[in-house]
Amino acid sequence: MNYKTDKKIYRRDLLKVAAGSFVAWHTPAALSAVNSTGNIKSRKSKLVWVILRGAMDSLHAILPLSDPDLMVHRQNLVTSVKDSAFDLGRGFALHPSYVELNRLYQQKQLIPIVAVGSGANTRSHFHAQDFLESGLPRVNAESGWLNRAVEAYKGDSIAVAHSLPVGLRGRQLAKTWYPNALRPAKDDIYERLQILYKDDDLLSTQLREGLKSRQLLADMGEVKNKYSFPALAASCAAMLAESDGPDCAMLEMSGWDTHQNQIGRLDSQFRQLDNGIAMLRENLGEEWRNTVVVVTTEFGRTVAENGTKGTDHGTASAMFIAGGAVAGGSVRGRWPGLAASQLYEGRDLMPTSDTRQWIRAILSQHWNLNSAQLDYVFPSIKTMDAQLIRRPSKSDIAV
Amino acid sequence: MAAAKNNRAIIAVNRFGLGATGAELSDAQLNPEQWLLQQLVSPVFDKTLGNTESAFRVIADIKKFKELRRKAEKKGPDVGVSIIKPYRRALLSDSLSLSIKTDIPFAMRILDFFSNHFSVSASNQPLTILAPILEREAIAPNLFGQFSDLLIAVEQHPAMLLYLNNEKSVGANSQRGKKARGLNENLAREILELHTLGVDGGYKLEDIRQLAMAISGWSITGANEVGRAGFKFRNAAHEPGTRSILGKSYPLAGVAQGQAVMRDLARHAKTAHFISRKLAQHFIADEPPEEVVSAMIDTWLKTDGNIKAVVTTMVKQPQSWNDQAQKFKTPREFVVSTYRAFDNPKMINQKLMNIALRGLNLMGQSPFDAGSPAGYSYLNRAWTGSDALMKRIDWVNLLSNNISENPQSIVKRTFSSQLSSLTVKSLAGAESRVQGLSLFFLSPEFQRR
Repeated sequence: MNYKTDKKIYRRDLLKVAAGSFVAWHTPAALSAVNSTGNIKSRKSKLVWVILRGAMDSLHAILPLSDPDLMVHRQNLVTSVKDSAFDLGRGFALHPSYVELNRLYQQKQLIPIVAVGSGANTRSHFHAQDFLESGLPRVNAESGWLNRAVEAYKGDSIAVAHSLPVGLRGRQLAKTWYPNALRPAKDDIYERLQILYKDDDLLSTQLREGLKSRQLLADMGEVKNKYSFPALAASCAAMLAESDGPDCAMLEMSGWDTHQNQIGRLDSQFRQLDNGIAMLRENLGEEWRNTVVVVTTEFGRTVAENGTKGTDHGTASAMFIAGGAVAGGSVRGRWPGLAASQLYEGRDLMPTSDTRQWIRAILSQHWNLNSAQLDYVFPSIKTMDAQLIRRPSKSDIAV
Repeated sequence: MAAAKNNRAIIAVNRFGLGATGAELSDAQLNPEQWLLQQLVSPVFDKTLGNTESAFRVIADIKKFKELRRKAEKKGPDVGVSIIKPYRRALLSDSLSLSIKTDIPFAMRILDFFSNHFSVSASNQPLTILAPILEREAIAPNLFGQFSDLLIAVEQHPAMLLYLNNEKSVGANSQRGKKARGLNENLAREILELHTLGVDGGYKLEDIRQLAMAISGWSITGANEVGRAGFKFRNAAHEPGTRSILGKSYPLAGVAQGQAVMRDLARHAKTAHFISRKLAQHFIADEPPEEVVSAMIDTWLKTDGNIKAVVTTMVKQPQSWNDQAQKFKTPREFVVSTYRAFDNPKMINQKLMNIALRGLNLMGQSPFDAGSPAGYSYLNRAWTGSDALMKRIDWVNLLSNNISENPQSIVKRTFSSQLSSLTVKSLAGAESRVQGLSLFFLSPEFQRR
C-alpha cells in the first residue's frame, strides 16, 4: 500500500473521531480513550533514548548555584563555569557547553530533571547500567525496558550499536546498526550465506536484519567522523525519519567516568552530547515535533571533588527530556540540598525521584500506553504525576 | 539447529584452543585431554620489543620535547604520536602473531582471558604503550602459578596503577596527605568488583575505602630513576594505621599491608566462585554446567587459587566436552583462527597483519582498548548482533581477496570430515576460490567453538 495514501486515511479517521468532541480531544483522558477504543494510534510518535555510560556528573551539568553548600564541596569545579552558565531559573544553571540544550529550553522543548536516581542500589557501572536498561526490580539482561515498551506499542526499534544493548533486548527483535568502514561484500555472497544459514536460526535472522539495515542506509551517503556521537545521532535521526522508519531508537555515549581532570573532559563530553541532540533535531526535520528524546545515566557522582580533580561514583544524577513533543521550559525534580546532613550516605546527592517514574509518564502521554502496559514495562513503579508532553495542537491533527 | 556433532579432537583445538593449524588436529586426535594439559606453560614474549623501562624513557623524552617546543612557542605536529604509534603497533602485532603461530594455543587462550580480566585501555598517551606491556610483564610470567602472585603483579604494574589512577592516591593522614590531593578509590573498587570478589562479592563501601587506604602509596618511579622503572611504594603517601577489610584487620605497615589483603582476596570463596565461573563461561558455555563450575571452585579452594590446577579441573570434567558447540568465537578468536588455518601461518606478511588488526577494530575488539576496566564481554550475545555479523562478512571478504589458499585443503586440515553436509555442499558450489574461503570462514561450524 502506498504510504502517503495510508497516512491520509488514518488522519481522516482521526479527525472523524475528534470532530465529535473537539474540545475534549485536548485532554489526555480523551487521548487514551481514543486509543483504547480503536486501532487509531498515531504511528508518528518517535522516542529516542540516549544512555550516557560511565555516570555523568550531574552537578556539573545542571549547577545548583543557589545551594549554599555547593561551593563547600566543589569550589574548583564550580568556579570554572559558573559565570558563563545559562540561567534556568529555580536557582539552577546549565553548563555553558550546552548551547543547543539551552536553545531548546528557551523554546520550551527541554525539561532538565534534577536529583533522579536509577533505583540501582549499587555504585558499580556495569550493574547499574544493566539495572537502568533492564528496568526490572531484578535485572534481567535479556529484557530491556525499551524493548517491552515498543512491544506494548506494537512498534519497531533500532539500536545504534555493534551489538544489541540490554535496553533493547527482548521479545521484539530490534535491529542494530553501526557505521561501516569497509566496502560491503558482493551481493552474491549474501544469497549463498542465506542458504548456508538455513538450519541456523541465530545466524539466518541476524543476516536478514543486517541486510535490511544496510539497504535503508544505502542512499544516505558518507558522514564525516562517522563514529562520533553527533554523527551517530545524525544517522539515527535519518533512519527514524524514513517513511517506514522505526518508532524508537537507542543511542549510547560513553566517556563519562571522570575520576580525574574532569573540567576539560566534561566540556568536551557536554559539547558532543549537545551537538548530538542538535543533529537529532536537524535530521529528524518535520518529525522533530513528534519526537521525545530521553537522556539518562546510570548514577551520579560524588558531591565533593576528589584528590585528582575529578569525582567518584555517587548516587542521584540528572536526566534530560528533549524534543518537539515536549512541554518543557522548567527544571523539574525536588532538590534535596547539599548540606552534609542532606547527603545520601554522607557523600552523594540524595535521589528524590526515580528515572523510571518519569519514563512511565512519557510512555503514558507520548505513546498512550495504559497502566497495565506501563506495569509491564516498569513493574512496581508509580507514574510521575506531571505533564511532560505537549498536548496536541490544531496543526498536529490537520491533514 | 543441526550443527554437526564434534569429536573430541575438534573440541580440543576449537573450544580450548585457537582453531587447528598445521598438523594440530591429528596431534590432538591421540589424546585430546593430554594434548591440552601439556600446554600449561607460560608463553614467552620478546622483552626487547617493549618493556616498562623503555616505555618510561619514551614517555619522558616526549614530555621533555613538548616542554622545549612550548618554550620555543613552535607549533607543528606532535612528535609524540610518531614515536608512540609504531611502538604500540609493534606490540599489538607481536601479541597477535604469537597467538597465530603458537604451539600452545590453550595457554594463549588463558592468557587472553586474564589479559581481558585485568583490562587496561589506551586512555592517554602513556597508556597507549603501557597497556600492551601489562600482559607481557605481569600476566604471562604468572599465568599458571598462584592467582595471588598474578594479582599482586598486575596491581603493582604501572599500566594498572596509571589506568585506575592509583599512582597519585594519597592517604589523608600520610606525610604528604597534609599538603594536597587525596585518596582515589578507583583501583580499590575495581580490584574488589572486577578482579577478585565480583560485583556480588558482599563487600561494602567502607571495604573499598579501607582497601584504597591499604594501597595508598602504591605508585610508580619518576623520570630520573633510570634502570629501575616500574612500581614504587611511596611510604610518604601511604595512609598509616591498621586497616579493616571484610571483617579482618591488617596491622602490617608499608607495602606488605596491601599485599596481605591481596593474598586473602585471592583465596576468598567469592573470588574462587567468580573467576571459576567466568573461566567456564569463557571456554564452555554462557551458562556453564554447574558440575564443572563447582569442581573448579573446589580445586581453587583446595589449592588456594592455583590457576594451573583450576584449568586442569575444567578440562577433566566430562561436561566440558559437550559435543554441541555452545560458544560463538569472539572477533579475536575468529581472526586468529582464520590465520591459523592458512597453509603456512609462519609466513604471514605485514599486509596480512594489518588486515588482522583492522578486522579487530572493525569488529569492535581492538587489542588493549576495551575502554572499560571490565574488559570485553565474554558472552555470546555481545558478538552476535546483526551488525556484528555484517562486519564479519565484510572483513572475511577483504581477507579472502588477499590470500591464495585452497578451501578444500583448509577444510581437511582444520575440520577433517566433521562439517555438516549443508556446509560441504555450499563450499562445493562456490563460484570461486575466494568465495569458497569466505563461505568456509563464515560457516556456522567455523564461527562456533
